[in-house]
Amino acid sequence: MSNSISNALPAPKPGWRPKLGALLAPPEADSRRTSWPTLMLFLAPALLVYAALTAYPVVRTFYNSFFIINDIASSDFVGLAHFAEVFRDATFLAAVRNTAIWSTVAPFLDVITGLLLALCLYAGVPFARFLRVAWFTPVLLSYVVVGIMWVWIYNYDWGVVNVALRNVGLGHWAQAWIGDPRFALASLMVTHAWKWAGFNMVVCLAALHSLPSEVLEAAELDNCGWWEKLVHVIVPMLWPTLLNLYILAFIGKMKVFDLVWIMTEGGPVWSTETVSTYVYKRAFNWNTFDLGYPSAIAVVWFFVVVGFVVFFNVLFRRRERLEY
Amino acid sequence: MPLPRFLPSAVLVQRFVPALASALACAALAGPVLAQTSQQTITMWSHWPDEQSKRGFVEERVKKFEAATPQCKVNLQFVQKSDLYASVKTSVRTGQAPDIFWLEPDEIAFARSGYLEPLDRYINLNNLEDWARQSWSHNGKVYGLPVEAYTVELYYNKNLMKKVGVTPPPGMQMSQAQFTDLVKKSAAAGITPVASGVGDRPYPGAYLLQEMLLRKLGLDDYRALLTGKLSFTDPRVIETMNWIKELVDAGAYPKSFSTLKLGESHYYFHTNPGAMMFPIASWYTGRAFVSAEKGGQPQGFPLGLMKYPAVDGAKCPECKTLAVGGSYVMYSRSKNKECAGKLLNSIATVENGNKWMEEVLLQTGVRTDPSRIQSIHAQYFKDLQDRSTGAKFFIGTPLHYMSGKCGDTFSQVLNRAFPAGLISVKDAAGQMDAACKAAS
Repeated sequence: MSNSISNALPAPKPGWRPKLGALLAPPEADSRRTSWPTLMLFLAPALLVYAALTAYPVVRTFYNSFFIINDIASSDFVGLAHFAEVFRDATFLAAVRNTAIWSTVAPFLDVITGLLLALCLYAGVPFARFLRVAWFTPVLLSYVVVGIMWVWIYNYDWGVVNVALRNVGLGHWAQAWIGDPRFALASLMVTHAWKWAGFNMVVCLAALHSLPSEVLEAAELDNCGWWEKLVHVIVPMLWPTLLNLYILAFIGKMKVFDLVWIMTEGGPVWSTETVSTYVYKRAFNWNTFDLGYPSAIAVVWFFVVVGFVVFFNVLFRRRERLEY
Repeated sequence: MPLPRFLPSAVLVQRFVPALASALACAALAGPVLAQTSQQTITMWSHWPDEQSKRGFVEERVKKFEAATPQCKVNLQFVQKSDLYASVKTSVRTGQAPDIFWLEPDEIAFARSGYLEPLDRYINLNNLEDWARQSWSHNGKVYGLPVEAYTVELYYNKNLMKKVGVTPPPGMQMSQAQFTDLVKKSAAAGITPVASGVGDRPYPGAYLLQEMLLRKLGLDDYRALLTGKLSFTDPRVIETMNWIKELVDAGAYPKSFSTLKLGESHYYFHTNPGAMMFPIASWYTGRAFVSAEKGGQPQGFPLGLMKYPAVDGAKCPECKTLAVGGSYVMYSRSKNKECAGKLLNSIATVENGNKWMEEVLLQTGVRTDPSRIQSIHAQYFKDLQDRSTGAKFFIGTPLHYMSGKCGDTFSQVLNRAFPAGLISVKDAAGQMDAACKAAS
């Protein structure tokens, strides 16, 4: 039967027309799918916005990195000269070092702070509802507000930190926290952790509440103290969540700009210079209109960030399953 | 085939369409003519949003211009310098910069890149001081109207100086030893010797050092230093830097120096907590000579003005920095150049130069007739002129000569780290040479 049907149908003609026809023809079986022209019609506005505001700037940055751009109308092709200069640039290397320190160390601070706050709420401290709101509020503030506020907090003469230290007899510990290269980066990391602690807290709290109670009860039946329960039961079960938070924080800090710019502009003596602030300075602050070199820095850093994302994906691809 | 009922008849279409086409053609041809005779609105961005006297001066000039030139309207906005610079640097590339904007001569790159319109045919260049015109000249053309000019001065608190038992010498210029003594006595009395803050500016921390280097080296060698032709390890430079380091180690600068903003440093000097001296440009008056409620110095503040000390072995103790500050430039791609040029020309008059000096108490790059200047701050103005009598001027500040990596290193090292005591003389000189000699 089927042979007679297939023999009755005309043989498909060679060439591109049949293929195009097959592509444009509406699918026959699945009612959820529609034709390509209709799909494109609905996707076009979003794709247009994406192309104009995301794809084009990225592509253009890649393109610019091979030129000296002085003007919209004029540019000189320099090939890989910018890239060679990037790796000899002492300020860029200082920025990479600072960004690397921030990206690797600060996420630990973020995640641990968030976990501790979540554990407090999970344990049912007094005024838990109020504290949950209070600890989450900094997340809602803009970087500008946070930056200005913490510049005041760190002020040497009348900032809260130094005044508190002087009032408890530790005036000799008072420092120009963001004016001293020894402390500036750490001070910014503390500020950043303060801002994002609430976000990490909320995620950890949700993860804690989703833990199976039988496992925790079993641990209690085995006479586990709170520390043993935390270290041997809770943290291992929260590990995927904590790792995800670390990776998110890591990637976010690889691009940090706002807080640094508001508080220190990369100083003192480049001790808080990050790759993002250096790109901005090269593009807008160096009495030059050349966009080629800052574009080259941005391209290099793009590949660094992508590289780390791939690395994390490969490294943490294995999943540990806990039997419970 | 007959047209559907909801469409007009063929006859109507045949008569209507040509008439419509003719009307549209006439409108298209008349459009440019109408536009020329109709009102033009020019956009003008200026700095000084928080400096009442300068802001008032600009607003008054714009108001008078609009009254005298009805066909030109001005959309004037005041923007903080850092925001203004960030905005114009992006907008000039996209063709959307304002017709007129505020700029300082260290941004001459705008002219080099073709973003500024030469003002030679718009304003009367004879109304500009020669030295001010030079600051904005590039390839033989003038690109900026130098409204603001300043000298780098050393203000002090007369009462605090009396309190520590120091009397300024008759010529108002201390020797190196006397100045060191003043700094140490101030620090011992719990008074911050030098108010200065570099939280939001790339230059004020270096004022004391740069003025000492100018006096030590003289005009030519100082210029060579700034342009990378003289090394920062030159013995005279090292000697001067060693002296400044001595002052820094004696506690000359406030601990909050690195984060104190420029506006805050004014307040630090004259109000809270108060300081002995304030090395700052003569545009000090823009913030200080307003009411105390608006951040100005207190009524009756004992403001003194002295010359920078004469360092030992100074080649030019009478040398002094004179620079062009805030200026107005025209965007080369402006579509309203005629009105913009008229506005700038209306500002560039001797009468306005006098008004600027009377109202703002600051020098200007526009020619003035000092005999006609009348002001309630006449004594201050007299003192300011006295301190410049017999002076040899070096035109421009270090950042007018240093750009790129050299400028950035100056800002981080000599402006920030060195006065804050974070870096040694050897390291500072080494970093400056590495950044600036390579660039020369």
